[in-house]
Order: sequence, then C-alpha cells, then structure tokens
Amino acid sequence: MSAGAAGRAGAKVTALTEALAHLGAERADQLSGAILMVPRAAIHQAAATAREHGFDLLLDVFAIDWLAYPGHRGPRFSVSYHVHSVGANERCSLRVQLDDGDALPTVTDVWPAAAFMEREVYDLFGVAFDGHPDLRKLVTPEDLEGHPLRKDFPLGESPTLFNDGRFLDPATFRAGMIGTSQGRTGWIGGARKGVVSTALEADGKGGDA
Amino acid sequence: MGLTDVFEKDVMELEKDGILFSTLGRLVAWGRSNSLWPATFGLACCAIEMMQSTNAHHDMARMGSEVFRASPRQADVMIVAGRLSKKMAPVMRRVYEQMPNPKWVISMGACASSGGMFNNYAIVQNVDSVVPVDVYVPGCPPRPEALVYAVLQLQKKVRGETFDEAGIELPMVEGWAR
Amino acid sequence: MKLERGRTAVQEIGRGALAHEQTSEFETKLMRINVGPQHPSTHGVLRLVVDLDGERIVRLTPQIGYLHTGFEKTMENRTYQQVVTYSNRMDYAHSFGHDLAYVLSAEQLVDAKVPERAQRVRVLLTELNRMASHLLFLGTGILDMGALTLFFYTMRERERILQLFEMVTGVRMNYGYFRVGGLSYDLPEGFEEKTRAFLDDFPAMLDQYATMFAKNDIFVNRTKGVGVIPPEVAIANGLTGPSLRASGVALDQRKAAPYSGYEDYDFDVPTSTAGDANARIMVRFAEFEQSAKICRQALDRLEPGPIKDPDRRISLPPRSELETSMEAVIFHFKLVTEGFHPPRAEAYVATESARGELGYHLVSDGGSMPYRVKVRVPSLVNLQSLEAACIGGLFADMVVNIASIDPVMGDVDK
Repeated sequence: MSAGAAGRAGAKVTALTEALAHLGAERADQLSGAILMVPRAAIHQAAATAREHGFDLLLDVFAIDWLAYPGHRGPRFSVSYHVHSVGANERCSLRVQLDDGDALPTVTDVWPAAAFMEREVYDLFGVAFDGHPDLRKLVTPEDLEGHPLRKDFPLGESPTLFNDGRFLDPATFRAGMIGTSQGRTGWIGGARKGVVSTALEADGKGGDA
Repeated sequence: MGLTDVFEKDVMELEKDGILFSTLGRLVAWGRSNSLWPATFGLACCAIEMMQSTNAHHDMARMGSEVFRASPRQADVMIVAGRLSKKMAPVMRRVYEQMPNPKWVISMGACASSGGMFNNYAIVQNVDSVVPVDVYVPGCPPRPEALVYAVLQLQKKVRGETFDEAGIELPMVEGWAR
Repeated sequence: MKLERGRTAVQEIGRGALAHEQTSEFETKLMRINVGPQHPSTHGVLRLVVDLDGERIVRLTPQIGYLHTGFEKTMENRTYQQVVTYSNRMDYAHSFGHDLAYVLSAEQLVDAKVPERAQRVRVLLTELNRMASHLLFLGTGILDMGALTLFFYTMRERERILQLFEMVTGVRMNYGYFRVGGLSYDLPEGFEEKTRAFLDDFPAMLDQYATMFAKNDIFVNRTKGVGVIPPEVAIANGLTGPSLRASGVALDQRKAAPYSGYEDYDFDVPTSTAGDANARIMVRFAEFEQSAKICRQALDRLEPGPIKDPDRRISLPPRSELETSMEAVIFHFKLVTEGFHPPRAEAYVATESARGELGYHLVSDGGSMPYRVKVRVPSLVNLQSLEAACIGGLFADMVVNIASIDPVMGDVDK
C-alpha cells in the first residue's frame, strides 16, 4: 500500500545532514520521515541552513511532552520543525530537545509561517520563543491559566450524570478498560499502557492474543 | 350587515359571516411564531446543517425564518449551532443580550446541548449555563428536518401550546417573560 | 489619494502628497475596528482586528481560538479506533479528508495492509467530499459578495452528495466510516448507480454555475487583481492547497506523494499564475471536474473484495466467525475494550485536503491510546497569508480574500 512515499528523504536531506553535522546534528528517522536531532543552541543556525538548502516551506512546528512516556529519560519537551522543499519534493524534520523553562530562538525570520505555529506551541505547552514578534496565547481563553497540552494538565472532564442519579467520572470508567487501574469494575485489562511485550511486533507476531 | 350587528348578533353567527374572534395576545403570538427570524450564530458543523436547512430541499423559510439576520438587534431567535468554546461564551452572552425581547434560544446539536462528545477543558458543557434555552435539538449534527421540527416546536411554545412534564399546559406568557 | 501598497496616509502626507494642505495642521488617525467573531462573512468564528486608513487596510491581525475544542488532548484519551469519531469534526466541510489522513497515519504505525477495494472506496468518498466542500465554498463565497442565488444552486448539488453519503455511512456529515485497516462496512446496493447518475448530471450543473458567476461584471471586478499573493510570499507564509496553486506553485500531495492509490488515477491539478482572489476561486472551480474524473475512475475500478485488513489484531473479525472461533471472540473482546497496541513509533502521512496539506502526526507509546496527536491543519497556516493578501487593499476586499482562502474555523482552532 502506498503510504505517501514514506519519508521522502533523498539527496537534499543527506546534504543537509552533512552541512549540520558540525553543529552536532544526528539522524534519528522514524516512520514519519527523516528527523535531524539538533542541539538547542544551534537550532536557529540549523533552520537558516535548511532554508538555504532549499527547504522553503515550513509545514509545522509542534511540541511533544515526554513526561508520561514510559521509559523516557532526558529532557521533557521536544519541538519539531517539519520542513518541505518545494523544488525537490523532499522533506525532513529538525528536532530540538529542551527542558521545562528553556526557551528557543524564534524562526520567524527564516520562515514567517512560524508565527502562528510558535504561538500555538507557547500557548499549549509553555515553550517560549525569544524574538517572536507577538508571543501570546493563540487558541485558549485569556482566563485559562496553564498550558493545556502538557501531560500534567488535566483533560477537564465533567462527571456524567446518569438518569438514576449516579455520577460517573469518565476517566475512571476508561481506566478499567485499558488496564491503567482497576476502575469501577475491578478488572485490569491485559495490557497496561506502554507495556511493549503486547505491542504488535514488526515481524508480525502478536502478544497475548 | 352594519356595525350594530356586531353588538347584537351572537358569536357563532358572526363567525359564519366571516369575523374572526381572538384575544390580542393570541393574535400577536400567532404573528410572532410565524415570523421567527434567527440570528446567525453558526459555530461549527451544525452551522453547515443549518445552512442546508435553508436550501431549496428543506426550505426553512416556509416556517417563517425568511432571513437569517446578521445583526442580533433584528432577530427573534438565536440558534446556537455548534460547539461553544469557553472563549466564545462571553461573546455569545453579549450577542444574546443585544437581542430585543421577546427572544428565544434553540440549542442545536449535541455539543450545544450538553458538550456532546467533547467533555474537556475547552467546551461549555451546556449552553443553558450561558443563555436560557427553549428548545434542545439532539443530533451530531441534527438533520435539517430535525432543525425544522425544532423551529415548529418553538413556534408552539411561542403560541402557548406547550406542556410541562406533568402534562399541564404552560401559559403563553412564559415565552414573553424574558 | 492613491496609496502605495503598505504605505499609510500619514507617511504619504509626510511626503507632501497633500501639498495644498501643508500649511494647515492635517492629522489623520488610523481606525481600529473589530470584525467578528460573530459576523456573517467570517466563515465561522474568526475575529479580525483591522487597522484602517479610510477604506484601506493597513494592518490585520487574526484572533483565533473561538472554536478551540481541545481535539488533540481529547484524542490522547481515546483508543486509536475511537479517534476516528473525532477527526472528521475538525474540518467539517471535508470530513473524509481528515478521516483519511488519520487512518493512513495509524495504518503506517501498525503497518496495515489495506485491501484494494477499501482504498478505492476511500478515494471515491474523499473526492466526492472534496466536491461537496468546494460547493460549500463557492456558495458561501459568492454569498459573501452579495449574490444569494448561486448559494441555493450549489446547496442543491451538495444536498445530492450528502444523500449519497447518507446511503453509505448513515449520516450526512461527520462520518465515522473509515477504520484503521479499511472501512467499517461495505457500500450498499444501489450506491454505484446513484453516484454515476449524479456524476452524469454534474457537468451540466457546473455549466449552470459558470453562467451565473464566472463572467459576471461584479464578480470579476471584485475578485480580479484583489488580494494578490506572489508565490514566494505564499510559500514563506506556509500557504498550501488550491490557494497556493492559484499563485503558481503546483504542489499537490496527491501527485507529490501519492497515497491510497492516487498514483493510479488520471487527473490534472489546476493551477493559475495570477495569485489573486479570482484565481483562487477559479482553481477550485476547475477542481470540480478533476474530482469528478477521479470519482468515475474509482467507480469503474471497483471490484468485489474484502474491505478490511484481515489482520485480527487491528480489525474486528466478521460476525459469523464469532460463533465458531474462540480466538475470534478474544480478538473481538480485546479490540473493543482495549483497542490495538501499535509499536512505539511516530507516523505521519501527508494528504491533500480541500484546503491544503493535512497530516496527523501520531506518536505511539505502545499503549492503546495515542501518546501525542498533532494535526497539521491547513487552515491555520493558510490564515497567515490573509494579512499578506489584504494589506493595502480595501476593506470590502477583505471579505473576498477570506472567502477565497477558504478557512474552516474548526480546522483552524482544533
């Protein structure tokens, strides 16, 4: 099945990797495509170099909060810059790892498209971008304090009121099914979140089932 | 027949001669119910179905909603079509307050009525906490026919033909109180 | 007083443009007005803070978030199959586009093998939805310019498409029809005939629309030369989709990185070089024909066959198997209560929605719920080009520009 010429990383990406090697960049590809891990101090230089190499379309800037990732060691956040070269039809991601409280330099001078994207990351994760022309909340209401997409920010579910007067907390109801806790039924699901042994293996052999 | 006949003949005879009897309240309510002009308050997917209900196939204009007024000051009913985010809630309250009395609110869709499938930090879980709702329309999104049905129910409410849970008829003035 | 693009009246006066007024103190101020979030022409709850110099726009700041629903956080608390219920509510005009982008990403994660029939049905439905989305765009766009009639005509066609969708999925909008691994159930009988009948009637309808607006003086005057976005500016602002193609950049993910069998279909990607609102509208108008072409080809190639990946760890077993096989019952139970567990990986498949490039970046931690879902939505990024298009233009042109860039606020705010 065609899954979109998975990755689309070719000569240009290789050339970029070599050009960024002296900054400490390393390849860490995923199914989603080529990823270049860039040290935090070098991200602006890396962005400018990528732009010079022809990666002119900035597709996305997003963050991942690794706080609840089982077995994760290292900085809490990753910020990914997904760029595309229109002329060469190649794309890659530049990824930075940073701790809570670290700030990143803005890349709006390299790609003006980063304006809203960086604001969104700031609003939802709390990662500040130095030099951003207008760094403030984008999508959340003014009176919401905190950064909603962080893993320690609650989803904010209201308990469901059933006709017979019971209040049911949705998270508890769900927890019993996927096995993170016993939940209301007392049954623990066969695979806890993050347990690798029951995940689908690459060679096609399954877990318990 | 002269004017004196109106005072001398009885009601049934006069009705046969083509004179309609009613109270002023009923007459005004009949007029109001048949020309409910909604304020455009489409938020999300339900707004698209609301637009579809005005198309030639479903034609909500038949029910009296001839135009969707952009200015709330010229509207009777606010159809809250879509998920109301907490950022939008004060805006909605302001729009509602700009509508002149008598005004009604139809909460269209599951998201407006109860938060729908979005039980989280961003969505108001029932727009009744922001504006008083008269008719709830379930659906995700409700079919245009469902919205037309809701408008018809609202028309009944405006005319005073509604009943409460115990089956007791609600007085017409309820719809005017706000 | 003819203003150069980007220069304010104050600057012009400083240059002595109003020479006869130089002796008197002539002060002008910029007027800041607020458009929306409740406004008939903002295509949803978009709020714009516009600085005006008379009728000319000097500065434009979109304020968004009035439809922020917390999709990404909610999706992190649902199993992979349950996420399909949410994805289509984001861009409610092109729901199948979001569904397709999500299931493709999830299938990349689990390396699912989607059968041919499922891929063709997916393409068929997505292209029909693209037509429905463009019909909505056309109707409301021309409505924003003041012409009401075309709205009813496009809604008539859209109604037919929605009835086709209702035949297949049971709902007119916000379908949850795709599954990770294929489709939830097969096409009903009579669907192919009805779709062919619709596609046969459609070209005549397109001619009808073209007669109604394409050469109309008012339409042409309001859109030609309005909101020109040069290609470098478009790329710098991250514009994708038909708006980018109207500026001369032929970027379409269906051709650049084909997915779900798009490489097998014969279709063109309309582009224009004008970059103005007229081009953006006419490019989408031209896409109708191409989408219809793809639909006909997909219909012609439909062969009977399975519609789900037979891998029991992803797809529910067929009902008949549950009566005879214990393993099937266990798979069913696990899938329904817990969901499947992809390996720890990240996946992203770029697709072309009616608005631009759309993709779901999924990060899996091995659990039954995605760890992080980042939706690369086209409308949020496209909105950044609004400022480039509107600055220096008239206030009335802003409405045309918003209509031609075609944002959907559910897509913008997620």
